[in-house]
Amino acid sequence: MTFATIALAVARKDLMSEWRTRELVPALAQFVVLALVIANFGFQFDAHNATAIAPGVLWMALVFAGLVAFGRAFAAEREQSSLEAMLMTPASPGAIFAGKALAAALLLVACEAVLLPALALFFSVPLSFAVLSAVLLATVGMAVLGCLFAAMVARVRARELLLPLLTLPLWIPFIVVGGQAVQAAMGGAGGTSQATGLLVDLDILFVVLTSLTARFVLDD
Amino acid sequence: MSAVVATSLSQRFGSDMALDGVDLAVDAGEHLAVLGENGAGKTTLLRILATAARPTSGTLEIFGLDAMVERRRLRSRIGYVAHAPGLYPALSAAENLAFFCTLQGVDRGRVAEVLDLVGLAELAGRLAANLSRGAQQRLAIGRAVLHDPKLLVLDEPDASLDSGGAELLVRIMRGRTAVIATHDHALANRLCQRTVELRRGRVAGIPTRLRVVH
Repeated sequence: MTFATIALAVARKDLMSEWRTRELVPALAQFVVLALVIANFGFQFDAHNATAIAPGVLWMALVFAGLVAFGRAFAAEREQSSLEAMLMTPASPGAIFAGKALAAALLLVACEAVLLPALALFFSVPLSFAVLSAVLLATVGMAVLGCLFAAMVARVRARELLLPLLTLPLWIPFIVVGGQAVQAAMGGAGGTSQATGLLVDLDILFVVLTSLTARFVLDD
Repeated sequence: MSAVVATSLSQRFGSDMALDGVDLAVDAGEHLAVLGENGAGKTTLLRILATAARPTSGTLEIFGLDAMVERRRLRSRIGYVAHAPGLYPALSAAENLAFFCTLQGVDRGRVAEVLDLVGLAELAGRLAANLSRGAQQRLAIGRAVLHDPKLLVLDEPDASLDSGGAELLVRIMRGRTAVIATHDHALANRLCQRTVELRRGRVAGIPTRLRVVH
């Protein structure tokens, strides 16, 4: 019963549940497309400033979709009292957390698979490997932080309010650095390699920090 | 030899005292019923005995280990049926058990055995959401014995069970130490050798020895 076995079993269980119920991903995909439609009408953009506006719209849509996705990861477990059943096993709380974060991150990646082509379509901006890698790298760090706070607030009544209040300040580095990386990759100012390197550093930092604190958050 | 020794267990929720200095000892192999009205503290006591919650004060030893320190080690020896079944509605009965086999480090071959034990073999492929409340409770009971625990902590396990439910409880409790919370005095009489009654978080009167069950 290794850490990886437990984490993969938890992630597989969450993804299978989502596949069968289709509760989250279709709604999130609709949400991100609607956000892009509104931004498309709301911003006065042209060929010159599209690369400056599109990254901001991308991160706004991603942040709010992420808050919903990560919030549901633990709220559903608490509502059906299944988190306690998991924690009553000898499985490591850290592995359970890793599995939940992995599944939530993959669900957000599924939304990104809709978001990125839609962004290219609405804002006529190029999609490249650099854009994709910046978004995926930011997703890792945002997922572990989002899931940690989601686990923390899951038993609180005002969790929908508390989750953004706790999570958004710590997501700011990902939004700033990710925004720079995407803007540079879309032809704006700056270089992508430095921003991508910084995203990797942030991912390592927050993955280590959350894996150290997860067991204290999950275990009463 | 005592399997469970609780000393001065207290649990406070804000200004409410849910448990107030409860002393309890359960011998190995003994079945103890915890009786009491709603709000008497039964669920709080059972959650602490199952290591699902920490008491505000007091000590708890299970199989000679300090339950506050050795929680993870003890959990492989405890089977807990909580108030709510805590199942995954989008997974089938068999998938629910298979998932917990992985978490418990138990071979998946145990799933079929347990489904048979709790009378759900024919409903193995049905989603937990589509099971009746009684069948969900049977599945939750099955999950509690998946890893062959030495101690069972059962919080109103008879809730929603049909007439065969008592037989199921007799089967799973056989050969194990068990603490069971129930409102049903007849069931307590049938399943347990001893009862304690909780009133406002305290043990009321002297624990009653019902009979010796072999």
